[in-house]
Amino acid sequence: MPLESFSVSEPLTMGVELELQLLDTLEFDLAPRAQDLLRALDKHPGAWDVKPEITRSMIEIGTSIQREHASLRDELHDLCRQLSRGARKLNIGIGGGGTHAFQHWSEQQIYPTERFHYISELYGYLAKQFTVFGQHVHIGVPSGDDALWLLHALSRYVPHFIALSASSPFVQGVDTGFHSARLNSVFAFPLSGRAPFVLTWDEFGQYFEKMTSTGVVQSMKDFYWDIRPKPEFGTIELRVCDTPLTVDKAAALACYLQSLCRYLREERPFEPAEDDYLVYTYNRFQACRFGLDGEIVDPKTKQRQKLRDDIIRTLARVAEHALDLRSLDANNQIRDSLFEGNDATWLRSLRQSGAPLPAMVEAASARWMMK
Amino acid sequence: MTTTGTTGILPQAPAFNWPDLHQLDPVLGLAAVMLIAVVAASILHRLLKLPRLTGYMLVGALASPLGLGLLRPDDLTGWKPIIDLAIAALVFELGSRLRPRWLIDNPWLAASCVLEGLCAALAVGAVLVWLGAPLLSAVLAATVAASTSPIIVMAAVHELRPRGQVGERLLMMCAINSLLAMLVLKLWPLLAMAGQESLASDAMTWVASALFVICGSFLLGLLGGWILDRATRLSDQRSGTPVLQIALVMLASTLASNWGLSPLLTLLVAGMTARALMGHRLTVEPYLGSAGAALTVLLFISLGVLFTLEGVHMVWPWVIALIAARLVGKGVGVALLARPSGLGWRQAAGLTLALQPMGSLAVLLVADNFRWSEQLPGFDLGVMQALLVAAAVMQLTGPLWLNLGLRRVAGECQEETAHAA
Repeated sequence: MPLESFSVSEPLTMGVELELQLLDTLEFDLAPRAQDLLRALDKHPGAWDVKPEITRSMIEIGTSIQREHASLRDELHDLCRQLSRGARKLNIGIGGGGTHAFQHWSEQQIYPTERFHYISELYGYLAKQFTVFGQHVHIGVPSGDDALWLLHALSRYVPHFIALSASSPFVQGVDTGFHSARLNSVFAFPLSGRAPFVLTWDEFGQYFEKMTSTGVVQSMKDFYWDIRPKPEFGTIELRVCDTPLTVDKAAALACYLQSLCRYLREERPFEPAEDDYLVYTYNRFQACRFGLDGEIVDPKTKQRQKLRDDIIRTLARVAEHALDLRSLDANNQIRDSLFEGNDATWLRSLRQSGAPLPAMVEAASARWMMK
Repeated sequence: MTTTGTTGILPQAPAFNWPDLHQLDPVLGLAAVMLIAVVAASILHRLLKLPRLTGYMLVGALASPLGLGLLRPDDLTGWKPIIDLAIAALVFELGSRLRPRWLIDNPWLAASCVLEGLCAALAVGAVLVWLGAPLLSAVLAATVAASTSPIIVMAAVHELRPRGQVGERLLMMCAINSLLAMLVLKLWPLLAMAGQESLASDAMTWVASALFVICGSFLLGLLGGWILDRATRLSDQRSGTPVLQIALVMLASTLASNWGLSPLLTLLVAGMTARALMGHRLTVEPYLGSAGAALTVLLFISLGVLFTLEGVHMVWPWVIALIAARLVGKGVGVALLARPSGLGWRQAAGLTLALQPMGSLAVLLVADNFRWSEQLPGFDLGVMQALLVAAAVMQLTGPLWLNLGLRRVAGECQEETAHAA
């Protein structure tokens, strides 16, 4: 099967997708209520989109194409308000967070669509264990070659987004010690990890044809890479973020990525190389395990440094681009969160103050629904 | 020569009689029936997929004068405090599961809760009047028929564990229609006196009495929930929480009965208050699990013993009409506001079926004893008999309706939804 051609899109436009938890309001366990909520939001007036996800306790929301922070944040606020209103009408709680703290994967029900049934049959119990919640950010690029260059250049910054968005310290009722345990679930999939190091769309097409000829993949959707090209949208899609506990954080993360992409495209501070990936998995683990306190290795200089320090330096480098993109507020919010701690730290502190897990999930839900 | 029959040759065999357990000891009798009920209900569940709750009631009915006559309704008098506790624990749990804020968030749901009860009452009342029942008696029967049995619903929810909005709406509607029925029954003497000369002088007394019941029950419930919260904080031991809950439930229920208040309203408010104050520290179900299960078995056997078909050969057309009118009334009431309140058509059908279990709880909780019907003056005997038989039938078949509504139609129970998905 040949690879589809790469659609042209306006550079640095962005779109945000958030996978969200649907909760019952008594015990704050995951509740299989996606169909109810989707029906209630069937004729919503917003430009945003809402659709089912693999299990019935999840939904995915997606913004329209955005260019700057203020409009993105406004749309996410509108989306959050309408979603929360619909959810309250149906006695459902909605929450962010990369994992649900105490749900049991075996109780999850696959959403009844052909694709989700296919995934469920192919991956077995992994599909139900995939009840994890991520934020995906799309960045517009003008061509497939640009997409692949940017994708590999960004690989060095993947730990930034993992650590900043981390909100999944608890899994199946246990504190994992990780800041983002969600990515461990994603790693179980055979086609997860990183994209192959090719820098032109033609080369990528050859790789894709080889993979489809093996029968292992049927479409681009079968790749669960940390960053993947999305030819039908003309974007690259960053998939490593946990869903944050607030939409403000989600907007800030997207705009930080946008300004970083502009910096990389316009200043070309380095050329991506295959060897960049030598430290990729190690850095990724550090971010998942220790969050902002993780230590990463610079793939070019081989120097070790605190992730928090690297983000501070990067924020300084991209500040001018953030200003041009009118997303300085977003980057300031990112800077503040470096000292306040990420959402995983917030959840853990709540738990350590004596809150039972359901109370912690309820507090997280109240934060997302802006109660 | 005279021939002697076999009776002359063999020693006279005594005719077989079922042991009259209640003559020995009513406690012993009911305990023995409990033992049999658990085994029999499990076998029926395995062989016929019959809900266990129906199995318990069938064993109770079999032991009652209607069946083998092992137990009489009077034998339950000694067990009444325990049966009251079983009912009270279920009602308290129902209250703790309700989120009153939902009615504000979804006003169509609030309207729907009232409408389904109203439609059921109107349909039943109209059919009974059409069949020739006196108006006031038809109103009373319609009021009782508007309610859904909270105890059947709660016990079935434990068994079925539905996870969806049909199950959640069922609890809300069941609480509201039972409360409304209870309030009308409290005002029944006032309605019964309509047209009498003493009405004007007595009306104020009855209105004051009704206000006393509503406000008093509400305040007692608030106090009960608050005390449970305080006591749990002070005791500071997790294992003591279920004991405190049982003590509180008994206290609130007994005080409400002694002071002439409504235990139903008191316990619902106590449950809601405890949930609001204690949040996730209130864990009703897991801790009352084993004790709660024993109480539930005893309660359902007792309901079986109280099962009556007296006069059914006379009133069966009324019984059928009442049950059918109630089904249609509740169906129309639910369907009218289904879509504005966010319910799908299939879910509305499931909810209608799940609302069918009927019981005498609404009246039982305002009565001093099981013979509640004797406390209602001016109630036409024929209508009352039809109502009692209909309630008994819908009580016995209640778990089947719930199974049908929540599991088969709404698909909210785990194994069914997994298949449906």
